[in-house]
Amino acid sequence: MLSLSVDSVYVHKVWNESELSKMVPGGVPFPMLSDPGGTIGREYNVYNEDMAVDLRGTFIIDPDGVIQGYEVLTSVVGRSTDEIIRRIHAFQIVRESKEKEFTPADWKPGMTVLKPAVELVGRVWEMWKPVRPRE
Amino acid sequence: MIKAGKPAPNFVAPAYYQGRFTHVELSRYREQWVVLYFYGGDYTFV
Repeated sequence: MLSLSVDSVYVHKVWNESELSKMVPGGVPFPMLSDPGGTIGREYNVYNEDMAVDLRGTFIIDPDGVIQGYEVLTSVVGRSTDEIIRRIHAFQIVRESKEKEFTPADWKPGMTVLKPAVELVGRVWEMWKPVRPRE
Repeated sequence: MIKAGKPAPNFVAPAYYQGRFTHVELSRYREQWVVLYFYGGDYTFV
């Protein structure tokens, strides 16, 4: 986990000490990176020129350095860490299976994975019946 | 140009990490899963 904003490392330090360490015991456990002027944000297409800040971009990068997924939100709605972790679990399972197993929509750790094969075409409904409570 | 399925652009950036100032280079995290987590600014609300 690497966080990035346009703030300096000095502001990161004070923010961690004065506020974040009161929400997270021991303070932030990962490196807080400084992206002055949004140089990295531009490379990743998340820099907002008008506000001169990086948007809420989340990128999942695999052990080969390949981007496996990303999403970008504007500044008004926060992200779901559960969803980020779910996605990493899913990508790890697929990678460990050497892409023999895939995870369907709404999959969560512990649920059935699908093994794509000719016989499965048109029969996913038999394998995958997620029960979702009505909201 | 960012694309899913393509290599992540490498970078080096100054960082604050557990009481110290340091530098982080993305390529040094090969063999690990990495989440890059951009946000608007320290001391913002969401």
